[in-house]
Amino acid sequence: MIQESPVDVVCLGVGFMSGVVATELALAGNSVVGITKGPYWDYVNDYSTTKYDEWGVGLGRKYDSPLPLQSTTIRNDSSQFALPVRRYTMPIQYHALGHGVGGAAQHYGGGMGRFGPWAYEMASRTSSAYGSGFLAGINPQDDTHDWPLTYAEYEPYYVEWEKAHGICGNYNGSPTNSPSDINYPWMSRNYPLPPHPMTPLGQLFQSTVQGMTAPNGQKYNPFPTVSALSSQPYTNQYGVTVNPCVYEGYCAGLCDYACETGAKANAAYRTIPAAINSGNFTLVTNAYIFRLELSPSGNQVVAAHYYDAQGNDHRQPGKVFFNGMWGYNMIRLMLLSGLGTPYVYNSGTGTGSGTVGRGLTNGYTPYRGTNVSGTVNIGGNSYPAGNGSGGGVSVFDLMDDNFSHSNISPPFIGGGLFGAGGYLGGGPGNITFAGGVAAPNTANPNGAMGSAFKATQQNKYLPTKQSVGATPFAPDLPTFMNYIDLDPHYTDAYGDPVSRLTYDWTPNTYNGATYLVNQIKTILTQMGATNVTVSNAVAPYSAHNDWWGHHLRGGLRVGTDLNAGTAAAWAALSGYNQLYYNSNTSGFNYFAAGEITNTTGNNATAGTHAAGPQSYRAAEGIKKYLANLATGSIT
Amino acid sequence: MPALVISNKSRPLNIPVFQSRIPKPEELVVLDKPLLEATIEVGNLLKDCQLKWAFAGDIGEILNGVNVQPDHLTILSNVVGCEEISKKLEGFQVEASRQVETQIKRNAEIEPKPLPITIKSYASQFNINGQRLNVHGDLRIKVGDWDWGDPLDYEPEYVYVVGVKVPVVPLELKTRLYMGLGWMDRVRKIHEAMARRHHKIG
Repeated sequence: MIQESPVDVVCLGVGFMSGVVATELALAGNSVVGITKGPYWDYVNDYSTTKYDEWGVGLGRKYDSPLPLQSTTIRNDSSQFALPVRRYTMPIQYHALGHGVGGAAQHYGGGMGRFGPWAYEMASRTSSAYGSGFLAGINPQDDTHDWPLTYAEYEPYYVEWEKAHGICGNYNGSPTNSPSDINYPWMSRNYPLPPHPMTPLGQLFQSTVQGMTAPNGQKYNPFPTVSALSSQPYTNQYGVTVNPCVYEGYCAGLCDYACETGAKANAAYRTIPAAINSGNFTLVTNAYIFRLELSPSGNQVVAAHYYDAQGNDHRQPGKVFFNGMWGYNMIRLMLLSGLGTPYVYNSGTGTGSGTVGRGLTNGYTPYRGTNVSGTVNIGGNSYPAGNGSGGGVSVFDLMDDNFSHSNISPPFIGGGLFGAGGYLGGGPGNITFAGGVAAPNTANPNGAMGSAFKATQQNKYLPTKQSVGATPFAPDLPTFMNYIDLDPHYTDAYGDPVSRLTYDWTPNTYNGATYLVNQIKTILTQMGATNVTVSNAVAPYSAHNDWWGHHLRGGLRVGTDLNAGTAAAWAALSGYNQLYYNSNTSGFNYFAAGEITNTTGNNATAGTHAAGPQSYRAAEGIKKYLANLATGSIT
Repeated sequence: MPALVISNKSRPLNIPVFQSRIPKPEELVVLDKPLLEATIEVGNLLKDCQLKWAFAGDIGEILNGVNVQPDHLTILSNVVGCEEISKKLEGFQVEASRQVETQIKRNAEIEPKPLPITIKSYASQFNINGQRLNVHGDLRIKVGDWDWGDPLDYEPEYVYVVGVKVPVVPLELKTRLYMGLGWMDRVRKIHEAMARRHHKIG
């Protein structure tokens, strides 16, 4: 075993969250180590040409976490045998997890809006508005909880997060934009960068909904789709300079492609440079963290263990540990290390005990959801390239509890952030391996290649008409039956159990879709769309989850109830006041790329970076802890 | 659940490992905090300025992604602009506006023999929370005993500093200026910044 020098703070994983914590603590004069299992990606040398390797990126997943090293298993309920994910393709898994500095944010779409106030108080506000039994009635085995803080309390952390990452936009559609607005994500300070140029479809959507009445009886309040791809040259509060987007069209494509100018916000190009520049930060790459070592009393983490690229075991001691690993890797590490109380589901009672692994949810569209589609005449010269998340317009009016959920059948809660007009060419759409090109089959021996494929390319560039559509869904609510634990059968390359996801879509997602799809149908019709079609409603539990989506959330929640969540407001694990983590709660955790596409899309969580402000909250908590340690007020 | 025993298995050889080169601090384009804060302060104070002005010198370049390390702020404007800036930054002024002619430290490197560079401008100096700010109006350059050049003029480009929109002297002008002075190291730094910023193929 190789003994490393002790430091003040050890960051496990070096993605978005650790980037903030490492930088804040290093700039405050603390010694910090960041450990990541992948490399440091240099956008100039690593992406300038290699990102155009569609085969290697889209199928080979060369930028992503290698499955032979570590995978996970998935099943829909606790009675099933979970099977491991063995390849990165649809429908099992086309969005890969991150690998290296910056994590999965090296190749996401860049959607980066805020959560609304309701999301932080979903349980209490729903009970208050619709009765204490409402959630239990719509969500079998409901396990929903509030966050420990309100939106207003998190708002200053949002500001810091947006400044650090150069978020583009122009407010969030709040009619008053003041703290008195408890339904919309008002802002004490506007986004630090202006939005990207609006597309023709975005303009049409904006002008259309401005003249329409939303279900809440008020006019719709459209606003530019929020993007984490810098629209202008930018310098953040750490002095890190950022290049602007060049709209080259290889950005989003199934969220596979990295940015060759560093315009796509992630830790590698926003926060970590400042940490390195401070002289207080050490970055350890190609290092696979496999255990946290506890003190003899079991109530302190004293070291992290990782394998280097040659398989040597390193021991990294520290005073404070921040677990910023990907969602279920974070949970898995705690379970492997015996930290916290593992969640155990009781199928007989429909409840569970323990906390680590509890509350797994999804924040992404079910592929087999109810859909509405149509064709809109947008005129010519719609810029065909663009980026992953800019150019569109969104509304918050069909989100959260911003309209009454009384007397809706089937009943549901929440809604979606809807938008339209993202750039057409957010990715190499002509190489849609998974989504657009069908393999040969009996009915179509040539698949969708050849003449059939070419036909789809007509009118692709500079189009005059655009197909639009949406598969809306309401929030996936936490239940006792969806969770993460250690798989008893499958292991990683070193023989440790992989994580096991027990997850299926919850009724609220599909029931909400039935209502929301008709609201979007009305908008599309008002936009002048032709051939507006709504598919048949999908009944809950008639379609099942079959992927390990990167939008899965929860499993290690912060909350006011330490028996249900695992940490209090500072994101420190209960019982371990020097272990902080990338916290999440009520199923609304973790950043996730927005599902705003070039069609009318949605994102059930609206905001996509609630974990972002939480990382500033954790950094503040760690500073307080270290200050108390220095004064001897804690040991 | 008890903690599992730490294993000592070696890493399987069939798992790819990407070579990784972590950048050195000097390779990163990071503006020091005191200058950053002074830049924001000046940007806010001059946001309603009616006359042409822009951050120039090293600060103008680093805000555009060029890897230089400024030790003060510089603004390029014209004579009337200098007067307007002086009014808006009145509380920070340490040297009143006046015509100044100075030989700068670095020579032009365009002939076998280095030639001195002289600048003259309508200049003033400010102290922005401990950071020096030099403001130049109608700045002209003279190399050796050649004639004075015309006052530097430009159309400003804009960058954002923590949400504050500020004008900067275009890198294209700086490139031409440096090439004229033979400062090829500075041309190279700008070229490197532009290479990082631009689409690489096609």
